[in-house]
This record gives sequence, structure tokens and C-alpha cells, in this order.
Amino acid sequence: MILLALGLVTLACIGLIALSKTNRQMNAVSIAHGLIFTIITAAILAAMDIPVGTFLVGNQYFFIDHLAAFEVLIASVIFTLAAVYAGGYVESLLSSGELEKGSQKLFYTLWSLLLLIIVLAFFADNLALFWIFAEMTTIASAMLVAILAARENIDAALKYIFIASTSMLLSFVGYIFLFETSRSALGEGSLNWTVLLAHAPEFPAEMMLASFALVFIGFAAKSGIFPFHTWLPEAHAKAPSAVSAVLSAVLLNVGIYAILRMVALVHRTNAMPAVSTMLVLFGALTIGIAAVSMLPQKNLKKLIAFSSIENMGLMLVGIAVATPVAIFWVLFHVMAHSFTKASLFFSAGILHRQYHSRFSGDAPDEIRDVFSLQPLAAWGILIGGLAIIGLPFSPVFFSKLFILLQVGTVSMEVLFILLVLLFVAAAGLGYFVITAFTRVSQPGDSPLNEPYRTPGGMKIPVVILLVLIIAMGIFLPGGEIVFFSQMVTELGF
Amino acid sequence: MMDAALVESIIRILFAGVIITAAYIISTRNLLSLVSVYALQSATLVGIALCLYTIEGAVVLLGIALVTFASKVLIIPYFIATIQERIRIKRDIEFHYLNPTTSLFLSMALMLVIYMALSSIMPNVSGKPTLFFFGAVVGLSLVLMGMMVTFSRKRAITKVLGYLTMENGVLLFGMFVTELPFIIEFLIVIDLIILVILTAILTVGIDSTLEEYHNRLHRFYLWEGTEDVP
Repeated sequence: MILLALGLVTLACIGLIALSKTNRQMNAVSIAHGLIFTIITAAILAAMDIPVGTFLVGNQYFFIDHLAAFEVLIASVIFTLAAVYAGGYVESLLSSGELEKGSQKLFYTLWSLLLLIIVLAFFADNLALFWIFAEMTTIASAMLVAILAARENIDAALKYIFIASTSMLLSFVGYIFLFETSRSALGEGSLNWTVLLAHAPEFPAEMMLASFALVFIGFAAKSGIFPFHTWLPEAHAKAPSAVSAVLSAVLLNVGIYAILRMVALVHRTNAMPAVSTMLVLFGALTIGIAAVSMLPQKNLKKLIAFSSIENMGLMLVGIAVATPVAIFWVLFHVMAHSFTKASLFFSAGILHRQYHSRFSGDAPDEIRDVFSLQPLAAWGILIGGLAIIGLPFSPVFFSKLFILLQVGTVSMEVLFILLVLLFVAAAGLGYFVITAFTRVSQPGDSPLNEPYRTPGGMKIPVVILLVLIIAMGIFLPGGEIVFFSQMVTELGF
Repeated sequence: MMDAALVESIIRILFAGVIITAAYIISTRNLLSLVSVYALQSATLVGIALCLYTIEGAVVLLGIALVTFASKVLIIPYFIATIQERIRIKRDIEFHYLNPTTSLFLSMALMLVIYMALSSIMPNVSGKPTLFFFGAVVGLSLVLMGMMVTFSRKRAITKVLGYLTMENGVLLFGMFVTELPFIIEFLIVIDLIILVILTAILTVGIDSTLEEYHNRLHRFYLWEGTEDVP
């Protein structure tokens, strides 16, 4: 019933978008879509027994456990806020001619489709089905990147498709391995995660290692892990900012989610030490590459994109430790990162409208007089930046602290390296903000663009997210702790 | 029912065919024949699926053969050929990092590595009839050879064909190692078709005005204004 409802809502939304004529109408539909999905997920969490086992859910293809509901809740909230933000943003893209009038309907249709596909991916129990939905998210999101029809956008989208899809094929080979493993161990093959988790201890370690390595390649590419991260800064920086926020805050989670589920299986076999080493290595390299790339970065959106890569690396290291506490804080970090990153991209989008070069998307942003021209966005970047670095009273502070403490219990050397790298990354972000935001116009500077009148719809999401981030950093209610612990228990850590 | 030994030798011959087509895709400069070779490769896969059906009798294999034939022998090659006609390119002479000879040697090395890796981690599979083990090796090699094409060629169309070769490899690997539910195979094919169409549209057709259109083609190395002279 739930899946049917989700599908019908999406169909209705796409129908309404096809019928509507103005940007305002289409935007209202996509906001409503996000809201309905948020309400449905909240209702599932509040009223149903999780894991859910009703008609159409709980069969061999779909299921809903705490982790899936948690990811879907994050996705729906971000989509709702991003849709509110997109209203003003798309309007401004239309008036500047960057988005063609004809592509507008396509934009909102893809937006609704992407939300549905992501939700179905998280609710999939069968891993092959999950793979198909994950692959489709690449297609839909790449089209959203390419929609601006500028050379750089199509370039970035093609790079995204080729890197993500080719790597994803390898992860399908990994799932075939897994299927074969389960068939030789259980007699009948299965790709259902629930079945696999129950029988994981019976699987031979070598097969699990091979299968994990292949699956990891594909989803590492999806979540921007080194060395498959090269598409990410391009795509995230070139996409319209509402899309960047969704890419960074929701789509990267799909990759980490897949890796986490796979680690939950491997965790029960003898292959775990090898997998842990592999994850720490790739995690540390990812953080390192991101930190080094952030230092000389001149483009704000690229900088924020690299910060996403850095955070994905940290999550990987946390997953590698694989203690219940570490997994608890990795999940918390997923949530904290999603909300903080969305707020950063929203603010960066406002600054992008104000300062973007009229000639090339690759030119560095000329940010000047930022506090007098765009005070809200400037404060948004400042507070969001401090929050993503992990200053106290931000949610990232707790997750980073506890993940690092957990790493410290395993290896002091790794902890030391990570601390240095995280410091470099923070310095890169801080350096950019200090130099860019203190710059004021000198006589003789080239004239700036007209002051961009930020619509209210673009300001509200930034404010909501900032309030939410600060609230999450200060309060940690008991219910939240219980919820996160349930996710960890269900994963079998 | 045919004799099982005969069918097995037919499958072995078809394996050789698959490898030859892959080698051709890796090394050729001629884009038009690339598509036909891809279609031929897919047809070989259909043949293998049918031969396997006569040995095993699993209906899923018939379904796979049917879907593969419709999508990969007919629809996708036709679509790509139409696009190639519209954008008027005949040759892809730009190799990014690898030239054809190196690629061929590299792919031979890859097959050897895969053979050794698989025989060490799949003791239970290599205990089965060797045909199945052999199929897994050829499938996985095909995946990596396709990947090499995707990363070493510059033109988007050739990259797409590399991707499709990879997908054929996954299919072959899947056929020999295990039987997935048919619905999954079917959805993958749909996914593939969408992907091909999307990539094609992205590289070619978003815009309708002729000047913009040619500009865009130019940017993606799809059309150089004049035919490349090797």
C-alpha cells in the first residue's frame, strides 16, 4: 500500500506538472510532492511496526526498516526544502536565459521522478533491485545536471554518467558473486538483504571479500570516494544549486548506504579485517585528496563539493571501525552532513546568482562586498562552514569527535593522520571564507553584477536549515538516541 | 535434444567468437563497423544462451535470449547507427592513453589475471564442469575490456559502445555463474536502453538550431567539420 501510494502521488505530481503553465504552479506541485513524502515517512515511523511487513512491502522485493525510513526521511525533507528554494532559483535561471523555457517542465518532472526513485531504492530489499534504482538515480540526476544546456554542464553530466555507470556495472558483478555465494551456501540463491543478513556467518570469507570489493568500486564511485571522485566536483559545481544540494545531501547517501549494508554482511564473516583495512585506506586517501584540493580552490561551489568528498571519506573510516558506537555516529554524521551541506549549497547558490561570471562557469567567483550585498547568504556560508568543520554546538562536532575517538581505540597513527588532514581541509575552507568575505570594492575594480534581489523562497530554506543545524547540535533527545540504536541493532553490529 | 558434448564444443567456439569481437572493438578505428560488431557480439551471446538452454532446460535462459536479441541485436545497434548517420562521423582515431596494440596485449594479460584470480577464489565453482568456469572468465574479461574502451577512447559514441560491451560481459558472467530472476534481467535491459538514449541525446540533440547543434557536436569531438583523415 505504501509503495502504491508513493507511486500514485508521484504520477499525480507529474500529471499536474504537465498541466501547469507557470513556474509558480510547477514549483508548488514539487513542494507538495516533497511534503507528502515527508508526511508519509513520518507516519510510517510513528504509526507502524518497523520492519514493515504489509501488502507490497515485506515481500521479497521491498521492505522498510529503521535505516531505510531514516534515509527516506532525510531525502524527503531535503527535497521539500530544495523545492522551495528551486522556485526562486529557477525563476532567476529563466530570466537570465541559462535555462530554456522549454526545459522547465522537464526539470520539475525529473525532480519528482528522482525523489520517487531514491525512495524506492532505499526501500528495496532485493539488492539487484536496489542496484537498478541506484543506477536510475544516476540517469535522472545527470539529466538534472545537464539541463542548463551549457557546454560545461553537458560535459560534467557525461563524465558523471560514464564514471558512475561503468563502475556500477562492476558492482553488479559483485552482487552476482554474492548470489552465487548464497546459492552454494544455502542451496537456493537469494539477493534479499534480510535473508543474506540472517545467513551471513555461513558464507565463505574469500567469496565475500571478492564480492565486497566489486560492490565497493561501484558505490564508491556513486559517493565520490577516491579514485572515482573526479566527476563529483564538476557535477556538483555546475548543477543548478537546488540540484547540487540534492546531489550532495541525498544522492551521496545512496552510495554510503549500499556500502554500509554490504559491510553489515561482511561483518559477520571472517573477511572483516581485510575489508576494514581497505575501507580505512580508501577513506584516508579520500580525505587527503579532498583536503589538498580544497586549499587552492577559488570556486565556492567546488570547494563545498570537495568538502562533501572529505565527509564521505570520514564516514568510510567510521564504517571501517565497525563497532556499534562508530556505526551509531556514522549514521548521525550522515544526517548532520546532509542538512549542513544542503544549507551551504543553498547559500552558495545565492552568492552564485550574485557573483557568477557572465563569461564562463569555470572562472573563479569574484566575491566582493558580500556582507552589504547578500548578508543572509554570507552568514549562511559562515555558520554552515563552521558547522561542517565541526565546531562545538554543531551536529558534525559530535559525530566527528566520536568517530575519531573510535578510530583512536584501534590505531593512534591513523587518528593522527586523519586529524592533520581534517585540519588542512578546515584551513582550506577557512582561508577561502576569510579572503573572499573580507574583500571590499576598491576604486578601479571592474563593476559588479547588479545586486541580486534574493526572493523570500530562497531565503526561508537557508534559515530553516540553520536553525535545524543549531538545534541538532544542542539537543540530543532520548528518542533520537533510541532510534539510532535501533538502526545499529538491525544492521547487526 | 542435441548431444551435450557437441553443444559444449559449440559454446567453446562461441566463446572464441566473443573474444574476437571484443578484440575488434578494442582495436578498430572504423566506427560504422563497430556497431555491427557489437550487434554480432550480442548475437553470439544469444547463441550461447540458446545452447545453454539445450543443456540445462531453464526457461529463464530462453527469456534472456529473447530480450537480448530484441534489445541488443536490434534496437540499440539500430539506434546508434541512426545517430552515427546523422552526425556523419566514420572514424575514431583518437586513443587517449592506449594505442590498439598495447590495448590488445593488456587485455590478454587481463584475461590471464582473471583466470588465476577466479581459480583461487572460486574453488567450489571450478569444481563444476569447466565450461562454467571458462564462461565466468570470458564474461569478466569482457567487462574489463569494455571498461578499457570506455576509458581510453575520446569520442562519446565509442565510450557508449565500450559501456555496452561491459554490459554484455556482465550478462555472460551472470549466465554462467548463476541464474538471476528474469524480472531483474529485464529491468536491467530497460535501464540500459534509457542510458543509451540519454547519452545519445545529451551528446547530440538537446538543441534544435543547426548552428548551435554543430557547435555542440564540435565540443564533444563528435563532428570535426570535415572527415578525419587517418
